[in-house]
Amino acid sequence: MDRLSSLLGLPYTDTVVVVGAIVLGVTSGVLGAFAVLRRRSLVGDAIAHSTLPGVCVAFLVAGVKDVPGLLLGAAVAGLVAALLMVGIERAGRIRPDAAIGVVLSGFFSLGVVLLTHIASTDDADQAGLERYLFGQAAGLLERDVAVMAALGAAALLVVGVGRRALTTTLFDPAYAGSIGLPVRALEALMTGLLVVAVVIGVRLVGAILMVAMLVIPTVTARQLVDRFTRVLPLAGVVGAAVGATGALVATRAELPTGPVVVLAGFAVAVVALLLAPGRGVAWQAGRLAARRRRVCEDALLSDPGAPDRGRRDRRTRAALRRRGLLAPDGALTAAGHAARSDLAERRALWSAWLAHGASVTLPDAREPDPADLRGSLGDDAVSQLKALAGGDSGSGDHGRARAPEAR
Amino acid sequence: MNDDLVIVVVAGLVATACGLLGPFLVLRRIALLSDAVSHAVLPGIVAVWLVGQTRAPLPVIAGAAAFAVLCVLAIDALRASGLVASDAAIALVFPALFSLGVLGVTHFADGIHLDLDSTIYGEIAFTPFDTVTLGGVEVARAAVVLAVVVLANLALIALLWKELKATTFDPEFSATVRLRPRLLSRLLLVAVAVTAVAAFEAVGAILVVTMLIVPAATAYLLTDRLVVMVGLTVGIGWIGAVAGHRIALGLDSSIAGAMGLVCAACFVLALVGSPRYGPAARAMRHRTRAVDTAGAGPRPG
Repeated sequence: MDRLSSLLGLPYTDTVVVVGAIVLGVTSGVLGAFAVLRRRSLVGDAIAHSTLPGVCVAFLVAGVKDVPGLLLGAAVAGLVAALLMVGIERAGRIRPDAAIGVVLSGFFSLGVVLLTHIASTDDADQAGLERYLFGQAAGLLERDVAVMAALGAAALLVVGVGRRALTTTLFDPAYAGSIGLPVRALEALMTGLLVVAVVIGVRLVGAILMVAMLVIPTVTARQLVDRFTRVLPLAGVVGAAVGATGALVATRAELPTGPVVVLAGFAVAVVALLLAPGRGVAWQAGRLAARRRRVCEDALLSDPGAPDRGRRDRRTRAALRRRGLLAPDGALTAAGHAARSDLAERRALWSAWLAHGASVTLPDAREPDPADLRGSLGDDAVSQLKALAGGDSGSGDHGRARAPEAR
Repeated sequence: MNDDLVIVVVAGLVATACGLLGPFLVLRRIALLSDAVSHAVLPGIVAVWLVGQTRAPLPVIAGAAAFAVLCVLAIDALRASGLVASDAAIALVFPALFSLGVLGVTHFADGIHLDLDSTIYGEIAFTPFDTVTLGGVEVARAAVVLAVVVLANLALIALLWKELKATTFDPEFSATVRLRPRLLSRLLLVAVAVTAVAAFEAVGAILVVTMLIVPAATAYLLTDRLVVMVGLTVGIGWIGAVAGHRIALGLDSSIAGAMGLVCAACFVLALVGSPRYGPAARAMRHRTRAVDTAGAGPRPG
């Protein structure tokens, strides 16, 4: 740790905090994925709040602010809370959101009562126990970080060993059950892993903000990659980066670590949501705008004599003029006529596909693209379609009902 | 007025204000949105303090309501993008806003009258000392503010009872008859935010969330009728207020925490012993059914 501190050029205490934040980021990033993808993110919130009475009881029993002891108390309380949530849900009438809310507020109330009880006992050591709510990076010891890292490594090892079973249960519990996986036990394991992540992180970012550390990395990673086996490590990396950045900024600016880490993570998640290639909001909007433009242009090409219908119409005309399809007087140019007949052919082909697509033989599974049927299905399929549509025209009945043999 | 009485009345008013809204939140499955909103108003309170150096109820409520709306809009926008599930959207937005608030408190408002702990735990024990004179009588300021909020909530659900009921149970139908389910949902959450802020000083965030969710969930276990549910919710809240106060005096502990615990205990009782939905009742029904089928003899076929 000393060498690391000189390497980073940071004071020793700050290095401990930064390393702690990285440990927290990796574990909560990877383990939080199981909560987010099961749509149980807020279970993490309830578990985080529920650790408060556990910490208080552990303190009352041990009498000192001994970190492993407090972590154990937090873990036990978190597990009990998680089991209670499942139990309340299974009882039938109460929906998951209310179950989470009830457990969260019940445990937190208990924690507040215990906290005030401890505060009234005049134990000099109890000072600062309540800082636990908002997290307290200052005073984090190397030993604490070592305990956190050991816990996190164990949890990650469990994920590594059981990742196939966990993935199957996560995405398709019914199938997992049918091939003999212990679904209930695996779901309990996922919740248990969530408890571990919460216990590791709650000291640093606090009970109220902990849920953000579980959710941010997975949301960000999910924007960037599609495969679950890649989401997991990437979420760990994102978590570590967020933790390190937040902790560095916080120690530099002398701000509380938890809120700064959470805000840094929030910024990263928002940027990923907006700009992630292919999936981000900006990309989606770009695709939508392109599609809209295309529809407008097609409409204008097929009926260039239509009256001017406003700004969008004029913009479309200008675009067509720029591409040399529309003459300045508003009539189609030669290229425009070619584009128009091309469009008419494409539309006829699509109608033919809708009517006869079922009887076209394709060499393999292909996804038809309405805008470019020839490109997506191949020339052979298109000539089949033309033959089908030609034979059918005028007979007045729907080819699909009769399904002729493939030629 | 007697200090203890003031405390119980203030807590009871919180229970009433929350109890009027809670059933709708639980029935609409947005109970956790109330948790999010009540955390997200913190930057609003801080901003009002930083800009106007004031903690007067009206500006604070306005600032908090603005952030509550911001929170709900942000969650809605995230959900509408289709990229994030609604639970993750909630979990992204409210910690960010709450972090802003915490940073504001610790960085700009350190040492002044904006105490983070009191917004979380509340210090209901101090409410009797903060009084205003109303028509020659000294009354606790929190009680006045909360009474206004109770009246506002009462007016909201009395005036929009039919609309709230319809949009709660069948949003698609209410959309077709132009009842504006989204608008009503926003209105409900603004009311939650206003209630939360008004109650913050008195009882703290945690009791607000508890009073919004737990009594309503308890009442939901006991009845199927909405009117009865609202009544029961307010009643359970008052039980929590009165009994919690007693217990807190006995244990010398946080009053708000004890009230929350009593509410949670009520929930557990209802969960286990509900005459309609409890495990005992269900086992009984199961047995009668078993006896019925046994009595009916072997089935044909």
